[in-house]
Amino acid sequence: MNIYLLDDIKKLQLHLTYQYQLHQIVKNNQGQSHWQQISTDQFPTLLHEKAQTSIKDFFFAQQENILVFNGEYFQETLPSPNPFVLFGVQSCDLVAVNYQDKFFKNDPYYQARRKHCLLVGLDCISPCEHGFCPTVNAGPGVRSHTADLILHPLVNQPLEKPQWLLIEGSEKGAMAIKHMTIKGQPLETAHWHYLTQRDLTLKACKQKFSDDSHINIAIEKINNNNVSAVFWQKVAIQCIGCSGCTSLCPTCSCYGTRSIKLPNDNISQERFWDSCLYEGFQKEASFHNPTAEAGKRVERFWRHKFSDGIATEFDRYGCVGCGRCEQTCPGVIGVHSIMKRIANDA
Amino acid sequence: MMLNHIPDSIEIIDYKDDGKDTRHYRFRLLSKTHHSHWHETQAGQFFMLNVPEVGEAPFTFTEPPNEQNEFSALIRKMASVTSALFDLSKGQIVGARGPFGQGWPHTILKDEYILIVAGGCGLAPLVHLINTLIATTENKKIVLIYGARDEQSQMLIAQQKRWLKTITIYHTLDQVSEDSNFNDGFNLLKGTPLDVLPQALSSFNSLPSKVLLCGPEVMMNSIAQTSIGRGIPETSIYLSLERRMHCAVGLCGHCYLGDQYVCKQGPTFSWQQLQSFRSTA
Repeated sequence: MNIYLLDDIKKLQLHLTYQYQLHQIVKNNQGQSHWQQISTDQFPTLLHEKAQTSIKDFFFAQQENILVFNGEYFQETLPSPNPFVLFGVQSCDLVAVNYQDKFFKNDPYYQARRKHCLLVGLDCISPCEHGFCPTVNAGPGVRSHTADLILHPLVNQPLEKPQWLLIEGSEKGAMAIKHMTIKGQPLETAHWHYLTQRDLTLKACKQKFSDDSHINIAIEKINNNNVSAVFWQKVAIQCIGCSGCTSLCPTCSCYGTRSIKLPNDNISQERFWDSCLYEGFQKEASFHNPTAEAGKRVERFWRHKFSDGIATEFDRYGCVGCGRCEQTCPGVIGVHSIMKRIANDA
Repeated sequence: MMLNHIPDSIEIIDYKDDGKDTRHYRFRLLSKTHHSHWHETQAGQFFMLNVPEVGEAPFTFTEPPNEQNEFSALIRKMASVTSALFDLSKGQIVGARGPFGQGWPHTILKDEYILIVAGGCGLAPLVHLINTLIATTENKKIVLIYGARDEQSQMLIAQQKRWLKTITIYHTLDQVSEDSNFNDGFNLLKGTPLDVLPQALSSFNSLPSKVLLCGPEVMMNSIAQTSIGRGIPETSIYLSLERRMHCAVGLCGHCYLGDQYVCKQGPTFSWQQLQSFRSTA
């Protein structure tokens, strides 16, 4: 795969808009960052911070119709989006998409969207609030198998020199920039020493992360079954079942279905994000509920993120260390809070 | 291969009541556009019934699809999907996806001594298996313990009367009324299947080589533990679990059990498998 130097990121953004709808992280008036479709005449600055929400809903929609029934037959209603590029995705979210790609490998709705997407990753060169991607092998540098193109900001580079390293991560990424020119010239190939520079920058970034040893201690305790049902029940008192964590978690994928009558009298079936932390998530028609106790539901959620069984199936834990659950949980049982309690008290 | 979440159309061709709020439904597949394995259905597998405008729920086959594309299911009126189904008439069209999950173990055809314990609706996933065992094998000793709350809650009595020619059947009822019929060929006892288990086990010349369980989880757990205590190996005890399901293909997450999904790895599990999953639950 080739490596190039770029002096101006806007030239890459513009080039990609010839083939794709561009989406990028922007900040709103309240200072919250979120993904937004960008118009071609106004490219915002690339933000070095993760968005409040992950990119999972670009592929696994919060709500979508999956079929229509006309009174006689059921027909599939697959989405057909225009090609789009997610520009500047952090490594944690890319690793999560890679995880979801495996989980939804045979799901036609997920794949119908996913195949139209080009992922442009962005290396993180400083830790983010609550993030612990190095601890769970999900960052800060973009893993080459998770993005089509990777952008790396060159630090301490004189202003007259190129400011970015552009790395091809896939054949699709290579194709997307194959005909890109700057002032009529092909892209400038980067010398290999820029990759060494990248490694050093990422290594320095890793060292700036705070001590996350509580995460590893707690993972071991969870998998050795050293966390009691009493402990889970105790912490579960703080779970109000708001689904904030499951909505923001980039690897959560539970969904429910419901049937809806359309204005033309056809019936559609919709699937929508669900949460394993809702009390009724496993409740059966007979009222039998295997996870009626909140402790069981909270335990399930964290096992789904850190169980060795999941790691065996997906080649990694279900948690990518983005820290969004810590940020959002009103009950203060996000990842750091709960893993510290497991490490210290369980 | 991509999953297909779309039901095939089925017609309600007949139904008849059996016990309290329970009906035998006979369906006919009108299309096999979306699912091509209907005729490979194994005993203990299930399908997702789609009642348009209401929703989907899993049900077991009491008779798998035949050459005329007809199949049967025993359905109890419980909540929205089944209530809506009970309001539909013969000839109306609903949907079905399937077959899904792992059925009862194939090796059972080789077993000589089989104990089956079912509670309430839990007999439904065993009907096709018992019919197959009776029809295809000889010189087997099969004992069925069937527990229900009361006489009105008993199901599949006509079917069981036919089985009486070949297998021994114990009935237990939580509540026995004065006019309960003790003389229709069944061994009727007041209590639960656990109360009659020692008697059923001692009716075998040696221990049963398979114990199959389906019903309330509390009942299955107590029967399994008692059977293990009597020397039956954990690998010889099989259970069929009931769970809420939306997708039936291991995606929606609702039927999780530890790191497993009951719709894919189950609904039939050996007791040994189940213990390993429960340790991660």
